[in-house]
Amino acid sequence: LTCSSGRTVTACIYSLAFPLQLLSRQICVSSAAWRKNLAAAGPEKFSEEYIKKQVEEFNIGKRHLANIMGEDPETFTQEDIDRSIAYLFPSGLFEKRARPVMKHPDLLFPKQTAVQWGEDGRPFHYMFYTGKQAYYSLMHDTFGKVLALEKYQDSMRNKGLFTKDTRQMSLTGSRWLLKEELEELLVENISDHDYTRFLQLMERLLSMPYCAMEEEFVQRFRRQLEVQSSKQEIPAVQHDENGVAFSQAEGRRKTAKASIKLRDCGTGSITINGKSYLLYFPVLQDREQLMFPLHFVDMLGRFNVEASVEGGGHCAQAGALRLAVSRALLSFVSAGEMESMRQAGLLTPDPRVKERKKPGQAGARKKFTWKKR
Amino acid sequence: MVASIANLLKPWTPRLCAVRWSRYNPYYLEPETDKDVYKIPDTELSPEQKEEKELKTTRPIKAAATSITSSPFNDPVISKFINMMMQDGNKVLAREIMTQTLETIKRKQVEKYHRAPAAEKEAIECNPYTIFQQAIENCKPVIGLASIQKGGKNYQVPIPLKDSRRRFLAMKWMITECRENKHRRTHMYEKLSQELLSAFTNEGNVIKRKHDLHKMAEANRAYAHYRWW
Repeated sequence: LTCSSGRTVTACIYSLAFPLQLLSRQICVSSAAWRKNLAAAGPEKFSEEYIKKQVEEFNIGKRHLANIMGEDPETFTQEDIDRSIAYLFPSGLFEKRARPVMKHPDLLFPKQTAVQWGEDGRPFHYMFYTGKQAYYSLMHDTFGKVLALEKYQDSMRNKGLFTKDTRQMSLTGSRWLLKEELEELLVENISDHDYTRFLQLMERLLSMPYCAMEEEFVQRFRRQLEVQSSKQEIPAVQHDENGVAFSQAEGRRKTAKASIKLRDCGTGSITINGKSYLLYFPVLQDREQLMFPLHFVDMLGRFNVEASVEGGGHCAQAGALRLAVSRALLSFVSAGEMESMRQAGLLTPDPRVKERKKPGQAGARKKFTWKKR
Repeated sequence: MVASIANLLKPWTPRLCAVRWSRYNPYYLEPETDKDVYKIPDTELSPEQKEEKELKTTRPIKAAATSITSSPFNDPVISKFINMMMQDGNKVLAREIMTQTLETIKRKQVEKYHRAPAAEKEAIECNPYTIFQQAIENCKPVIGLASIQKGGKNYQVPIPLKDSRRRFLAMKWMITECRENKHRRTHMYEKLSQELLSAFTNEGNVIKRKHDLHKMAEANRAYAHYRWW
């Protein structure tokens, strides 16, 4: 268990005759551990045996914690650990990083490289004196692959087998590593310029015809983007006394809040705050907005809508209802249609709100009359 | 864990406030509200469309605007025109004027249709939407003028116009012409329908204004090389 606060609390009970590193037991990890002082910074702050010991302690502590909480030690996940620590050590601190935390030491201690030079002081890596050996060796390797591909192309041309329509890698649905992720991978600090050059070199590699040969090398530097539709929350389908299926959902737009019950009856009636929708929304545009999600999935006459809405103006209320209806429809609609609804913009809550008035101006954008003197 | 990807999806205010910004993160894509686009099976899509579709599955999408629906009556050109006619945010009135204009156009055309002999009946266009589209199309200028300062003097230089700019000018001329140059006791829908019908047949003040602009551009051909873009 480590408490990640700003100050180092070192329980050093022995006299100063003994070296401090060997016998002081650090109760808390200092903020120096959060700062990434990596690679050629010098001898490591935490030795390998120390980290191994921390890992063992963590595993044993995890089992103890599972026993304390009365759960199975074999299937005790990190979420369970977080939950248990929050229960056993409740903290009222606002700063999340100051609260008690129990995580695997690999996540808490920054990655450090082993000592880069041997006993004679000679560095192991041939690029040590560049200062960023991992980065430059990566660039060197990548360029070597570019040259190898060109050589392969030439050999294919000589044989007469050169074609441009080779198998292409699928790059949609993935993105390049971010600068922070690359730094983590290389365990080195790199600058923005270095990162840009790295991306340019990878793009150059990908622009060559036979780049599919280096697919696994490239995929190491790509991360999958998650599919957005998997993030939608589908409301559960409930059944009332007559066996009619219904679902409930809420929606918001500007200051208007709406909550609806969508019933799977045969009629297509819409009631808002007890009134018929024709009386509540005299404007055609608002009624069109109500019908938009139902019309989009071709289920106009199928559902009954009972809605209650408050706050905002008529357009905001119509927008809130539209979002609520779209969300409620998710439980009656297939996954493909849900993705279509998302791409039509029906499931995104509209973030536009009234812009604040600024001091020194008459309104949000309007300025006071400009006087030359 | 890199928090910057999760941060990209929240409602967003930029650190350095540009004058033109939006509450949406630039990561968000524009929505596609047309139902038929989603009914096309995968086999009939071109490779670029397939790539776009795959990209859309991984990116968040902006919310659809309140004036847009998937209904076949929703026309982007008409919506744009309504927004340009709107004053002080009175969308209800602007939309009312638009529907009355289309109704008046239809009435006039149907009257003409019934009065015409059988031979000419097919030539008369009764659909107010096609008349509106064609009228705006006829009013669009092909070339525009920009004021460029060279050697202390301001020259009117002919420049090519973007499609959106052409459409904007056509609609703007139509609206200003109806507001200012007509008799003040007539209703706006009356004025608009008259002007749209004459623009449909390439007559009227808006068409004249377009031709004047073209003539000016032709007259200032000599300065065309002052344009550097």
